[in-house]
Amino acid sequence: MKYSYNWLKEISGSKLSLEELTQGITMHALEIEGVEKIGSDFENFVVGEILEISKHPNADKLQLTKINIGNKVLDIVCGAKNISVGDKVPVALVGAKLPNDLEIKEAEIRGEKSFGMLCAKDELGLGSDHAGILLLNKKLEVGTPLKEILGENDYVLEIKVLPDRAHDAVSHVGLAREVAALDSNKIEYDYDGLKLAKKKTSSLKISIENENLCERYIAAKLDNVKIEKSPEWISSRLEKCGIRSINNVVDVTNYVMLELGQPMHAFDFEQISNNGVAEIIVRGAKENEEIIILDGSVKKMSEEDIVIANKQGALALAGVMGGKYSGVNEKTVSIVLESATFNQTSIRKTKNKFALQTDAAMRFEKGLDPNLAEKAMVRAIEILTHITDAKLDGIVDEYPAPVKPWTIKLDLNYVNSLLGENVPVKVSQEILTSLGFEVKKAGKNLSVTVPTFRLDVQTQEDLIEEIGRIYGYEKIVPTAQLVSIKPPVINEQRIFVRKVKNVLVGQGFSEVYNYAFYSQKDSENAKLQTFKHLELEAPGNLEQTILRVSLIPNLLKNVRENLKFAKQLHLFEIGKVFLPSKNFLPNEKNMLCGLVVLEKKPVKKEQQSNLQQTSFFQTKSLINDLLLQLGIMNQNYVSFEDGFEQISKSFCHEGRAAEIKLAGSNQAIGCLGEINPLVLADFDISSRVAFFEFDLELLQNISANENEFRAIPKFPNVMRDLAMIVSNGQRVDDILKVIQEEGGDLIADVDLFDIFDFADGTSSYAFHIMFNAGSRTLTSEEVDVITAKIISKLESQLKVQIRK
Amino acid sequence: MLKEKIVKIKEEAQAEVENAKTVEDVLQLEIQFLGRKSEFVGILRQLKDVSPEEKKEVGQLANAVKVEIQTLLNQKKKNLASTFDAEAEKIDVTVPAVKLRKGHLHPLTQIQNEIEDIFTSMGFEIADGPEVEDEFHNFDALNIPKEHPARDMQDTFWLKSQSVTDDKRNDTDKNTNERILLRTHTSNVQIRYMEKHQPPFRIIAPGRIYRNEALDAAHEHTFHQFEALVVGDDINVGNFKFVAQEFFSKFFKKEIQVRIRPSYFPFTEPSFEFDISCTVCGGKGCSACKNAGWLEIGGAGMVNQNVFVAAGYPRNKYQGFAWGFGLERLAMMKYKIDDIRHFHSGDLRFIKQF
Repeated sequence: MKYSYNWLKEISGSKLSLEELTQGITMHALEIEGVEKIGSDFENFVVGEILEISKHPNADKLQLTKINIGNKVLDIVCGAKNISVGDKVPVALVGAKLPNDLEIKEAEIRGEKSFGMLCAKDELGLGSDHAGILLLNKKLEVGTPLKEILGENDYVLEIKVLPDRAHDAVSHVGLAREVAALDSNKIEYDYDGLKLAKKKTSSLKISIENENLCERYIAAKLDNVKIEKSPEWISSRLEKCGIRSINNVVDVTNYVMLELGQPMHAFDFEQISNNGVAEIIVRGAKENEEIIILDGSVKKMSEEDIVIANKQGALALAGVMGGKYSGVNEKTVSIVLESATFNQTSIRKTKNKFALQTDAAMRFEKGLDPNLAEKAMVRAIEILTHITDAKLDGIVDEYPAPVKPWTIKLDLNYVNSLLGENVPVKVSQEILTSLGFEVKKAGKNLSVTVPTFRLDVQTQEDLIEEIGRIYGYEKIVPTAQLVSIKPPVINEQRIFVRKVKNVLVGQGFSEVYNYAFYSQKDSENAKLQTFKHLELEAPGNLEQTILRVSLIPNLLKNVRENLKFAKQLHLFEIGKVFLPSKNFLPNEKNMLCGLVVLEKKPVKKEQQSNLQQTSFFQTKSLINDLLLQLGIMNQNYVSFEDGFEQISKSFCHEGRAAEIKLAGSNQAIGCLGEINPLVLADFDISSRVAFFEFDLELLQNISANENEFRAIPKFPNVMRDLAMIVSNGQRVDDILKVIQEEGGDLIADVDLFDIFDFADGTSSYAFHIMFNAGSRTLTSEEVDVITAKIISKLESQLKVQIRK
Repeated sequence: MLKEKIVKIKEEAQAEVENAKTVEDVLQLEIQFLGRKSEFVGILRQLKDVSPEEKKEVGQLANAVKVEIQTLLNQKKKNLASTFDAEAEKIDVTVPAVKLRKGHLHPLTQIQNEIEDIFTSMGFEIADGPEVEDEFHNFDALNIPKEHPARDMQDTFWLKSQSVTDDKRNDTDKNTNERILLRTHTSNVQIRYMEKHQPPFRIIAPGRIYRNEALDAAHEHTFHQFEALVVGDDINVGNFKFVAQEFFSKFFKKEIQVRIRPSYFPFTEPSFEFDISCTVCGGKGCSACKNAGWLEIGGAGMVNQNVFVAAGYPRNKYQGFAWGFGLERLAMMKYKIDDIRHFHSGDLRFIKQF
């Protein structure tokens, strides 16, 4: 809300400078979002009287005026049309400085001399009104310095009030209490003195049908009201706070709202009464009941809305907006003022349903003190009877369950223990007293009675906050706490994730973060639509409607976008996927998924010698390295024909994918493959893409934490090379199996070191086979015997021909 | 007789080794002077025919000479081998080197690692919690009223209840009115941790959170938060200031002051906003802090007793502080990133800068 600095000082009695006040509010109360200077010193501004107006000879839109400023008459060129001879207007003399820093100088405008300027409101820094020259009271004497009429400078403070203080601090009185407390004072404003006069009237009847909807309803009838413009002191304060001046009655209700925080409403007595009696009913709206509100729109209501009605029907959407025909107009003579407390939840629902962000609604929805309604009513009557000849006819107050102040027992030791600072008891007492609390000392406790305008203060901790913030958090000394030296539990999962990331980055992968959502279309494009996905209840964006069950779709989008700037890519993501489960919450799995792009066109399967350079085999090599670094070495790659269940991975290329399983286990720990080219096409990717995917929890469970030392071989390896011509379709795995089986424990390592393709579709594979017996030196003869066995087995069982 | 011959061989060898031009020459000399068919070896064979006294004397000399010649040969070999023609081998050193493929951790991962390490060094445990959460752990237990605007559709991503209806569910004891959502803060971890642990403890909970916000340079619907929670018998505001000051000083590697101002959060009482002294100017005022000298970082406060009660602790038995801040904001400050949307863009041109 916007606050006037002068108004705050008037209510609080504070002598603080602007800087002290804003610093004090910031550090001890609320967040200030901006400070704006209003008006100027009006040095060289005086009241002038218009003596003559004539046409400018050279400009249709300009006029020449003669202005009497008391000691002389000035020629001034002016553009505004709203002036006439005899008007009193603000004149900026030569040498005057406008709030926008423009200095007035003698000027020649289209050939005519001008010795000053007649000012509009905005030019004086008094709001945004540029409708014409500001017309002053004709009784003013010419030559009077403007400073004496338009008052002093002011500042507008824009302050953010959080929900806990929305019921009291969104008002000048509420903020003034904070300001006064900065100097340990109470406000000068006589809040407690605002008491409702007991003056009855037979022209008003109030009935609250449902006390849950309205805690209190006060109505006052005033007669002899003349609807006209508000005096300057009211309209200027309203404008500083961002509220447009309408007429005296409406302005007073708004003025009181800015001063005290209570929204009010004014009805035209004629419009709502029958036979001289207004019978006001506060009730829940009927289902589909309609009302035309002030802005002219028709609202169809339901039972959760509150209406102010008479027997004929709804008069106002209570607490949100008045009715079009029940409010005051120029002809109004008698008014009914309303000051009430409505149910906050109901107001909030109505406000949101009809999107009516009115000042009143935004205050009621935060909850208000019903005792505040009384203060506001007293103040509004006071002002109205002061600025007009209005007479109070009488007041009706329906308040079925009055709210009384409550008392909290505050343990003084707790104050110090929670703040970590020894606040002297006297200081605590002073702080609470200055904020309006009643404090009595009772042994080691304070007995604190909370005024009803502080709805937010309910517990000891609330009081400690009041003491702490006014005392000053800056005075609290940072102190190390004493703690046990028991070391914290290590989060193994996070350490593991970090290790995996470091390995991948070392291999040249870059890490991306993607959203946890994608669209239905993405899921179809990635062939994931057979999976159940969690859905957003009200997605704001059709691109993001369901929670991911796989990292693949968003990673593929990353590939598409990044291929605009690069030809080859290595990227990965670690993140959660969300799988619907039978428990209340879904199953969240931390997944690792990486994509590799190397070749644009697929390498044919006959080109065995090139295949190892493709994204699939490069990825396989990186995965083997990753697993090795995680202490996993016994993995097998299981293709579809060996039982890879495609259903779970339909986004992959059936001919170029493998499940990764550990030897002797049937559980897949991960998966490796090329992405199905149809999926790639749907994602507009024209290169081949290889992927790998692991469930990190599974991976962590099988990862060996510690490496175990293996003895360094004492005896030399014996190496034999074996080259063979292999017909297409012969899997390397089978060759390796034969070598392993025949060689048994003597095989230390086998390495396929060369592949050469022949034109007829066959290939030559060359292996290094390393033998070692471990405990003795192998003789060349022994190795020859084993090699011969291997060769004979290979030739008899497989489609290979050994090259000799 | 033999002695003179040996000395002569030595002198010849010295002269010839001196004149050798290539390694091959030296190898040839090695054969010539010390080889099996050399004169020197021939002399040694004659030793068996001389008197024992002479044998001893000549033997010693022969051995010494042999070592001497061998040393000379080795030295010469080494000298010859280590000469090369630099001019002939000259290369253009300005030819660009092959670019290595370099991987990059996401900047948020780097920031998170740093933060985790600092807190771990201060004895904090790292706790985790689910990203899809129930209403209780995200709102109710944190003292956020049922009607709080944060629960509105426009602030929270609510999820349709799980569509697994074909089988019997395991959650029959759950309040069927409760809904599920994407957590709006990491504070759900506070509750989940306290449900299983007793004070005293110190935890941090870094993680991903979701808010139903429109995207712009300063707003994301998916971002990361960092939450610290310390609970014990007498944890106080001064302790919070200490931990915050230590953390930020370590993180920015310079002395940082922490300033706290009053604020409001349902889950803490008292509540604070906390600012740190400007990391650029140190508090004097500059463009980075808009001349305020302070940078707004996050929220904090003393844990509301209602939160302890919701987590199963007795009221007013423990005291604690909680604080949280956005990782993106910290990363943006540290790396001078101007648009929050970069983090989830998947754009490697961004990620490869870190």
